[in-house]
Amino acid sequence: MAEKLFMVTFVMLVLAVLINLARLWLPVSWLDKAAPLPMYLTAACLLVILAWRTADLGRLPLANMYEFSVFMVFVILLGYFFIRRSLTAVEFDLAVSLLLTLLFAMLASLPSDLRPLMPALQSRWLTAHVATAIMAYSAFAIAFCLGIIYLSRTNQEDPSLKVIDRQVYRLVVWGFVLLTLAIITGAVWAEEVWGNWWSWDPKETWSLVTWVVYAAYLHARRTKEWRGRRSAWLVVIGFLVVLFTLYGVSILLPGLHSYA
Amino acid sequence: MPDKQNKGNRNLLSWLTSMRFAIYLLILVGAVSALGTIIPQGQSPAFYLYTYGNGTGAVINLLSLGNLYQAWWFSLLMLILGLTILICSFQRLRHARSLATVGSLVFHLSIVVILSGAAWSLGYARSAMVEVAEQQTVALADYGFGSGQLTLHSFVIDYYPDLQPRQYISDISLTGYEQGDHHLKINVNNPLRAGNLKIYQSNWGWMLKIKLTTNGCSTQVVDVKDYDVFPLGSGEDNAIRVVFLPDYAEDQHGAFSRTSQPNAPCLGLSLLQSGRAVDMALMAPGEEAQMGQYSFTFEDFSYYSGLQLKYDPGVTLVFAGFILLLLGLLGRYWRLLFSREGD
Ligand code: HEM
Repeated sequence: MAEKLFMVTFVMLVLAVLINLARLWLPVSWLDKAAPLPMYLTAACLLVILAWRTADLGRLPLANMYEFSVFMVFVILLGYFFIRRSLTAVEFDLAVSLLLTLLFAMLASLPSDLRPLMPALQSRWLTAHVATAIMAYSAFAIAFCLGIIYLSRTNQEDPSLKVIDRQVYRLVVWGFVLLTLAIITGAVWAEEVWGNWWSWDPKETWSLVTWVVYAAYLHARRTKEWRGRRSAWLVVIGFLVVLFTLYGVSILLPGLHSYA
Repeated sequence: MPDKQNKGNRNLLSWLTSMRFAIYLLILVGAVSALGTIIPQGQSPAFYLYTYGNGTGAVINLLSLGNLYQAWWFSLLMLILGLTILICSFQRLRHARSLATVGSLVFHLSIVVILSGAAWSLGYARSAMVEVAEQQTVALADYGFGSGQLTLHSFVIDYYPDLQPRQYISDISLTGYEQGDHHLKINVNNPLRAGNLKIYQSNWGWMLKIKLTTNGCSTQVVDVKDYDVFPLGSGEDNAIRVVFLPDYAEDQHGAFSRTSQPNAPCLGLSLLQSGRAVDMALMAPGEEAQMGQYSFTFEDFSYYSGLQLKYDPGVTLVFAGFILLLLGLLGRYWRLLFSREGD
């Protein structure tokens, strides 16, 4: 049953991509109206999947890469619905649906079996640490989509640039605050479980790299020569670093976080 | 001339405290940190020469890129980061009026606080692994931690129904330490805290009690850890190695342990001469085996608990820095985060 629901979710996401692609060539109003539908259905399916898993596990599904990713796709969707209230653009819908489709396709390669928590993960910090990381990365994901749109609009007089820049800024600030929380809860937890609040483990280090890239963005936005396109590049690079922290590190640089 | 020098200094200072410099410094810190995850850390110089070739390997060794986070120049980079933040903050002190500007100041200074805490730990933190058998008491002084006695009353492994470990629990007491006496069950994620000293549940194993008789007369009872080699002390470089199989079973490949629970305990004991196994016996508790001039009796088995002791005065400062960091960030971005119109 869960697998069927998974397939349905995936089909919905692909459908969203196709509709949004069609909207680029066929600007008809019924397509515009239909566009958010598969996204709403995706969110509904994910909610059921997550609720199911929560009931099966007896805790929030936040303990491994698979659970993290499903949750993140769901939170990105929520953020997207929120941003969409004040920023409508076909490219935005397209970028988000594409990103989510890719993330979701990648999920299929992750082990999804239900496993009990190993001793190191039995901590009151687990939920806080993982939940803040998911929310931070989701904010950065949406900022990334907007950053790409910013960079694709080459006409510097375009009034939409200012609106996009503003939204990117707000998203990055939210992401930065949440990532700071994630790193701090992680450090406090590491001190409690390993006796070391920082050990330069690859996952830890790359989350610091992420933090530093977005700090650079926040500074860049306030200097004349870095404002605009250059700082938009930092937002794009920032999310590539996020993806590497999440998936690249686990595959290429295993360390203390290797269960995740 | 002095004027010119002054101006040069001022230009350097204003460059060091500029946003542009902050951006480059941040990107540099990120790039250097990332480098340390790509080059394997803590290997021997020969490893880098072999893996990366003589040229690149030599550069890695010269710049200590194999111990990057401990290298002197990495500390220097952190020092520069801290100092520029301090200078910057000092310059901005006068303009700190609103919640946002005070927040920003607190936020930046908290990074200095965290770096100071880390530096303090670097200089003063001590840690040691202590392996204690059940009912055994050890003196902290033996591990470089001042006065105090650490006792392990019991060690328990809690299992899930599928026999995966759920939790490791040590019932320990710490007496005579400066902060008073403690008696507590610790587990993974729940250490004992006594001021700046913390005791962590770190690992575990089996402690085997063996009665050893040499030439039929001199008898002693020794505690040997699973997998350890115990020298027999006679002139011929004889030793024993013990391997404990808590849940003994056999198949065509030989003996193995089905689970880590002591359902069918069995001790594998090898007699080593100059490091080479010359004889071997399997014993159930209470059984005796004769090998050369020795006879061994497997008296008993129990758990030992691997406890990590850590004394670290810097952590408190670091955690205070964390709180300031969050307060500062919230102050800086309060309006943007929580009000409709934003900044
Ligand atoms: C780890 C290092 C650093 C981090 C994480 C960091 C972070 C931040 C953040 C989040 C802001 C607010 C930006 C905004 O939204 O307007 C900021 C502003 C600022 N930073 Fe940094 N910064 C760091 C290092 C530095 C350094 C080294 C300098 C000085 C060279 C510096 C100087 C400034 C200045 C002048 C501002 C503008 C004042 C303000 O907006 O409050 N920062 N920094």
